[in-house]
Amino acid sequence: MRNRTTALAMAIVLSLGTSASAREPSENESRPFPPPVAPGPDPVAFVVPAGLYFVTDTYVADVVTTTDATTTYSTTTVHESTGTFARVIDSVDTGASSVFDGRAFNGRGALRDGRALAGTYYQNFVLTADGYVAVGIVFFQDDSETQRRAAASSLPSATPARSTTPPPAVATAAPPYVATPAPSFKPVRPIASATPTVRAGIALAADGPVLASAEVLRGRLVRFWPRAFANEVAVPIRSWRLVSAQPDYVSAASGGAEPLVAQWIQMPALGVRWSLRFEIVPEAAPNERLEAQISITLRSPALID
Amino acid sequence: MTRDDGGTAALTTVLVLPLLLSVLVGVLELGALRAVVYRAGAAADLATIVAVGDQDQAELARTGILRLAPDAAETARDYFARNLASTAPALAVSVEEIAASADVATFASVPSIDARTGARYDRPTVRLIASLPVRTPGFAVLFMPAVTTITIHSASSPR
Repeated sequence: MRNRTTALAMAIVLSLGTSASAREPSENESRPFPPPVAPGPDPVAFVVPAGLYFVTDTYVADVVTTTDATTTYSTTTVHESTGTFARVIDSVDTGASSVFDGRAFNGRGALRDGRALAGTYYQNFVLTADGYVAVGIVFFQDDSETQRRAAASSLPSATPARSTTPPPAVATAAPPYVATPAPSFKPVRPIASATPTVRAGIALAADGPVLASAEVLRGRLVRFWPRAFANEVAVPIRSWRLVSAQPDYVSAASGGAEPLVAQWIQMPALGVRWSLRFEIVPEAAPNERLEAQISITLRSPALID
Repeated sequence: MTRDDGGTAALTTVLVLPLLLSVLVGVLELGALRAVVYRAGAAADLATIVAVGDQDQAELARTGILRLAPDAAETARDYFARNLASTAPALAVSVEEIAASADVATFASVPSIDARTGARYDRPTVRLIASLPVRTPGFAVLFMPAVTTITIHSASSPR
């Protein structure tokens, strides 16, 4: 009797069984990650000129400002990356000559007494398939001069001289303008060799610092900029690929110069932090695959109380 | 009903009806005032939430930490006025005046203690306290103030 009951129960269970509706993880995803793009052949290695760095501040104009008796000669720049490179080729003091005088497209100005301004010559490069090609020279003036007031005018009126010999001249030997040494030059960290030490990171701005973590507001479109550095000098990246991520929206799974745009809609569990992991290929070391990661804390504006 | 009973009923009605009408007017006015309080509170809540969402992008890019924008207080005041616009007919003064006189404080560095309320904020916070003079004509009929001032409070932070 027991055997019959058992057999009957099994028959009922088997007859009611249906195929499982298992879901393949890769199916029905709204934004599947495309397969990683096979990297193309690496270009032939070329020589990186010594001292080369990626330009993040571009020359705009020479500026001369006068405050009281001091005239300052400076250079204005705009904070933008045009994709060019530069290196310092000469730093000159006031009045000193340089082999690059007359070769800068913006020229080299002079003080009021005729001496040439202090400053720095930069040579610009563009990166081509054949390597770094010099495209021009620019002079960043960085000097100042102070006008000495006529001492005689500042002296109190004196009583008539009793002797017939004239008083000694005051400050006639000194020039009316005195050049001061250049206050400072922009620090330049040169690339020491053709095989620099490279590292990568993620920033929230094209030229922003690399961040290990960031707070993100829910629903906001946030731009994540993969960045690469060669000997701690920013270099352009050839490509990046998103290795892992948990946002509700991503603009792309891979890219080049453009940033990743991500958005989170769903709040994580309390205390849970998400992360974005990138694989970055810098121009300075196209054979290397650098990993970079940024931790994300998602926050949402909420009422207190 | 006798003639005396009818007279008593009429007299009772004459005496009680004003009382009933007074209660009715009071209840209706109180309900209208409650509605204004809720709508003004929602306007303040939305204003502080918007202000908290107005983050300092440059600071975020530099540090990765959410910071209130320098103009967060102005943003809260502006949106408070916008959100109050639908309630303007019930108010005794313009919404711009109410928003301008609102006490809006931003607490960018944390933890902070609100000197006015004593509250402690562990996240960057925008706090708004405003007094709204509300027209209450029903109360005026009952020989009460024709304008009733209500105070609302709201505070938001990214959490």
